[in-house]
Amino acid sequence: MSENKTAITQADLTCVKPYGDTLNDGKIEMAFTLPVPYGEEAEECAKQYVKKLGFDEPNVTYYKELAPGYTFFVVYGAAQQTIDFTAIKVPKVEGTVMDRVECGEWIGENIGRDIVVVGASIESDAHTVGIDAIIQMKGFHGHFGLERFKNVVAYNMGSQVPCEQLIAKAKEVNADAILVSQTVTQKDIHIMNLTKMVELVEAEGLRDKIILTCGGPRISHELAQELGYDAGFGPGKYAEHVMSYVMQEVQKRGWEKKADIAER
Amino acid sequence: MSLLHDLSTKYKTLSIVGMAKNAGKTTALNYLIEEAMDEGILLGITSTGRDGEMEDLVTGTEKPRVYLDEGTIVAVPELIYELADAGLEVIRKTTYSTAIGTLLICRVREAGYVQVAGPVINAEQKKLCEDMLDLGCRLVMIDGAIDRKSIASPDTSDAIILATGAVLSRKMNKVVEETAHIVNLYRIQELEDGIYRKAILDNNSDDKIMLISEAGDVTKLDLLTGLGAAKDIDQAISIDTKYVYIPGAFTHSVISDINVKKLRQVEFIFKDPTKIFINPMDWGIFRKKGFTCKVLKNIEIAAITVNPWAPAGYTFDNRVLLEEMQKAIPDIPIIDVRM
Repeated sequence: MSENKTAITQADLTCVKPYGDTLNDGKIEMAFTLPVPYGEEAEECAKQYVKKLGFDEPNVTYYKELAPGYTFFVVYGAAQQTIDFTAIKVPKVEGTVMDRVECGEWIGENIGRDIVVVGASIESDAHTVGIDAIIQMKGFHGHFGLERFKNVVAYNMGSQVPCEQLIAKAKEVNADAILVSQTVTQKDIHIMNLTKMVELVEAEGLRDKIILTCGGPRISHELAQELGYDAGFGPGKYAEHVMSYVMQEVQKRGWEKKADIAER
Repeated sequence: MSLLHDLSTKYKTLSIVGMAKNAGKTTALNYLIEEAMDEGILLGITSTGRDGEMEDLVTGTEKPRVYLDEGTIVAVPELIYELADAGLEVIRKTTYSTAIGTLLICRVREAGYVQVAGPVINAEQKKLCEDMLDLGCRLVMIDGAIDRKSIASPDTSDAIILATGAVLSRKMNKVVEETAHIVNLYRIQELEDGIYRKAILDNNSDDKIMLISEAGDVTKLDLLTGLGAAKDIDQAISIDTKYVYIPGAFTHSVISDINVKKLRQVEFIFKDPTKIFINPMDWGIFRKKGFTCKVLKNIEIAAITVNPWAPAGYTFDNRVLLEEMQKAIPDIPIIDVRM
């Protein structure tokens, strides 16, 4: 206990813990619901539960009945665990990231033909927000979409597109890359959909003839690779990230003169 | 006699294939390794990528690492070699490279945990298995690093061990149904040798959909893919068409618009069962309509492992699950890896 009460001014990156009021006090805010009736017993229950999770000094700052038999809590606690920040390694999409104009020029100079991409939000997912952010002209957060890029032809198929249809379209237009978007992640539905997609691509004999990428709020490059995709784009990644990767990958694979899928 | 003993007399190489992520593939591998220890069977272990990480990326559940006994032969990339918990003796440095260094063939000198990794390319995997068998292994096991069924491709190993489990569905009968469906697909009859098989193999250079007539004449359809092309296939099927060969994926959209009469007349041929993506319900409906099919190469299933535990937090009664599974698939040995 004494150790986390000492005032320090410099964070030690080999053992970091959350910052609340002072460095290393480990304060964390938690919000959760317990299936117990509202009352003081409920408050105590939440406290004990947080204690069991390994937090010191649990404080219930707010609790309210959600429905009969269910209580919602906001609890503060002091975490004890630390992480060695210096030992963290996260696989990232390789290559340099260029902006929209640079991408267009780069493709003109280095590829010498248009790069074709097909994107959709697949299967049960009805959210176009992800694929629109990347492809649609308006883009997202001040970053224009692929439709505004020079030397890029982008097809946005929208949402709830069956995997079959996306693959058929990619074949039809000789796409260099397929962009799969998944926004909904409840009960790991995105894993099921993404797996189905990669299996179909493989069964169609397309896996090494197309750059397969996916994106969404719960998707990281690491997860994408584990599922068998070439690259994954998570939050904070925009059209230029995707295109920078795709165009450099096209060059790496030597597809400059191979616009036709059959030749790859 | 133990299961592993039976397997080692029947097969030389086995791949472990998961029905889904967290179906209990690594648990299954550890179970078999343990059995091998008890039986004194010398094993070779390799994988189609890296496996044995401490934690699962999707669910954050702890992944069992692979515990290897003394004497086991294992494929390990240079980088992982230094991280291994077990005492490893390098027997041979191979020419196969992986994302994390050149592959080493090692013998375990001191039992312990190891991260297993193997070649990415199928042909190299095959050679590696042969090397391991030359070194005296009775049985080589290939662990598919990513739980994807398409890895079950029949040319790398003699047979597969199918890992299935509660992760598939919250309803037990659905888990059993899906598993039985996959098992039935994998065991679809092969197209017998003869003019039709020859006709398909001879003309199969460009992966086009082909129609084969009664006389063995081949008509290629000028379609980019079979996906969504049911109407075109329907039109192309003529009165004397006997077989329809689909080189790529076979889904609902390949078959849904084909006239029932034509469906009955022809037989569909696929490359292998991993190309079939039709759920058990639709499969039953098409079968009732008279749909029949064969494959060029099927997949032999040596055993099935079940895992009654799912990372989402629910479990099944393992005895009931095992019983139900055995009822649905009576002729393949089924083991509960957690019992």
